[in-house]
Amino acid sequence: MPVSEEPLLPNTEPRDELAGVLAQFPNAATLVEAATAVREAGYRRWDCHSPFPVHGIDTAMGTRRTPLPWLVLGAGLGGAMVAMGLQWWTNAFDYPLLISGKPLFSLPANIPVAFELIVLFAGLTAFLGAIVLCGLPRWAHPLLRSRTFRRVTTDGMFISIDATDPKFDVQATPNMLSSLGAVSVELCHEPAHARTIPSLLVWAVVVAGLLALLPPLFIARARATKSDQPRVHLVPDMDFQPKYKPQTASGLWADGRAMRAPVEGTLALGDLQSDDHFWRGKQGDGWAAAFPVPVTDRLMARGRQQFNVFCTPCHGLTGMGDGMISQRALRRSDSAGWVPPLSLHVEEVRKQPAGQVFNTITNGARKMPGYGAQIAAEDRWAIVLYILALQRSQNATLEDVPEAVRPQLR
Amino acid sequence: MTHPIMHQRPAHMTVDSHLRLSIAPRWIWALAALGAAGLLGGLLSGWLQGDDLAHFYHTYLATYSFFLSLALGALFFVLLQHVTHAGWSVSVRRLAEILAGTLPALAVLFLPIAAAVIGRSPVLYEWADPQAVQADELLLHKQPYLNAPFFALRTVIYFAVWVFLARYYLKRSLAQDDSQEPQLTLAMERASPLGLLLFAATVTFASFDWLMSLEPRWFSTIFGVYYFSGAVLGALAAMILMAVALQARGYLRDSIQTEHYHDLGKLLFAFVVFWGYIAFSQYLLMWYANLPEETVWYLPRIQGPWGVVSVALLLGHLLIPFLGLLPRTAKRRKPVLAFWAAWLLAIHWLDLYWLVMPSLDPGRIVFGLTDILCLVGQGCLMAAAAASLARGRSLLAVGDPRLGESLAFENL
Repeated sequence: MPVSEEPLLPNTEPRDELAGVLAQFPNAATLVEAATAVREAGYRRWDCHSPFPVHGIDTAMGTRRTPLPWLVLGAGLGGAMVAMGLQWWTNAFDYPLLISGKPLFSLPANIPVAFELIVLFAGLTAFLGAIVLCGLPRWAHPLLRSRTFRRVTTDGMFISIDATDPKFDVQATPNMLSSLGAVSVELCHEPAHARTIPSLLVWAVVVAGLLALLPPLFIARARATKSDQPRVHLVPDMDFQPKYKPQTASGLWADGRAMRAPVEGTLALGDLQSDDHFWRGKQGDGWAAAFPVPVTDRLMARGRQQFNVFCTPCHGLTGMGDGMISQRALRRSDSAGWVPPLSLHVEEVRKQPAGQVFNTITNGARKMPGYGAQIAAEDRWAIVLYILALQRSQNATLEDVPEAVRPQLR
Repeated sequence: MTHPIMHQRPAHMTVDSHLRLSIAPRWIWALAALGAAGLLGGLLSGWLQGDDLAHFYHTYLATYSFFLSLALGALFFVLLQHVTHAGWSVSVRRLAEILAGTLPALAVLFLPIAAAVIGRSPVLYEWADPQAVQADELLLHKQPYLNAPFFALRTVIYFAVWVFLARYYLKRSLAQDDSQEPQLTLAMERASPLGLLLFAATVTFASFDWLMSLEPRWFSTIFGVYYFSGAVLGALAAMILMAVALQARGYLRDSIQTEHYHDLGKLLFAFVVFWGYIAFSQYLLMWYANLPEETVWYLPRIQGPWGVVSVALLLGHLLIPFLGLLPRTAKRRKPVLAFWAAWLLAIHWLDLYWLVMPSLDPGRIVFGLTDILCLVGQGCLMAAAAASLARGRSLLAVGDPRLGESLAFENL
């Protein structure tokens, strides 16, 4: 079959370069045979095109295994290392953050992030790697200018040999393809202008690139300069709401304050606290010795429970002042400034009336903070009761033991 | 009515002597006798240990759950091929059907365990003993579920479902060998979604009942998936070894090709990763929350001799086979793939041993004659069951309308 030297498209310009030769074959079997022959002829830069996967074509073409799996493996390992390094740097090195007593850097906690990054890196590498290894992106391919090649999506089987192949010969190569059973052979040309990028596109890219520089410029300027303006809220969330906050100004009232004082002679619910004994542990001018609430087993049990929650960390379970916080503070090398909590069994505490102990719990003493805001008043009295019981237990005499059980001692 | 899957069967494919398993009945009887002798020997050896058969029962359960997992994984494989309308797997599907066909025999092997529970013996399950339950608030709370009659009822349901499914598929597939009736394939495909749902529910609860309730105060909602992941891994490994062994004896040489090994290897690899994913998911949440009622199960398993086994599982069940099965060539070379299949089968048994045995003795590993005899005994009995099922029958689903597709299958 004679090879047509005629340009395929009427608008092919004289400057066009020869891109290669395209041959159509009647069916898949012929294509496989022809591919074998082309490979055996020693061609290296060529390809087969078919509308569906043809079994055995890889072997016929002598396609080498793609290096993509190795890239994906490397990216996966890289993802693992990036994830581990990131977590180590952020959590254990640059800003050590202790969470629930877990080690700062421990493998189990870091594996989920590592797993995700392995998948992300490997997945992106597989996707982008396949694109790049396929020679994409590219503006156009000379084959796409051929009319016959359009049948590659329906029933056309093609072999194309690139003009850059060392064995390519403008006469011999098309002749060989014809002899292999091609139904048509044609030369493909690449127009010279196809390799230059349209100037409009160049300008668009330049403008877009310059515009893209603006945000980083603004950010860089903002970081390098000082301002008395509030920071820019890119995502305001619910930071600004149409409501007054404490201590803010308002023009609605004559005094200019948003906060309103309560009406003269009124109190908020629960703020009365008129019972000095119950709320402040006082009777008359002195500390109350008696309890303002009935002393029951229930109160004692409640006191023990509340004492164990709030007091034991410093004072210890027995009130000796040997709680875990104190123990740990004393073990530290910089414990010089630590004042151990008072034992509740020393004389000066034991002689305090109940009301005074109540006051200490409520308002604190020395380094001990007040617990009035955290423990309800009745629970504070319960703790006082339990402290009295603890003091009694540490300073008991034989007379304190009921006669019936005295023989059980020792 | 024609259907797109109805390819023409290759003309040369007839049930010839290379496809029918020929094995003399005396060999099957010998296998069965060896198995029975092994189990009796194990029982005797366990009795001589003087711990009221506690060790025997535990190792029996571990090994039993191993062989059961192979049959269940194979059943899953069959269901999966039908639900996904798969063509490639026709050449190996009969092997899975035969493996799953041993489920009735496995139901018989469950009897000793059922007997212990029905006899209210705490030898395996603490909750089976009514007195222990009364003394423990938590067990009392779980009693509505963990009690002998309900346990027995559930067990009957599990085996009823599994035996039914296994027989349903084996029967139709065998019938198709002769009739080549495409409607059978369509019937099997239609049944597979419901079959998979039943399979998922029964396997999950069976693993809760038989393995997780060994430590009745502990719980893990992912436990069923954990057992499932190992089961499919074990079944795939068993199928690969079966195919290699049968081909070495001259069977199936034309039908199971490199491409099929490659796909089985890919599935095997996938389930190596899946097992690791599930095992770590269970571990991470418990490690992170650090709640005593959850960590109590891991504590003996990460300390002392069982801690060594845990590390061995991490390496041998995940990291080493992951790297080993990663290359394409490892899945396409029969000896290499067979090596990894054998490796994974062994490590899968170790996984189940590690699951069961620390409940008996958290501080020690007592591996000995009792364990080996149980393994050999149950293994021989299951092999005998599989052989008697396959004897004289085709090892290839020759009547399947997609056989041609399977034989022409190629990994691109």
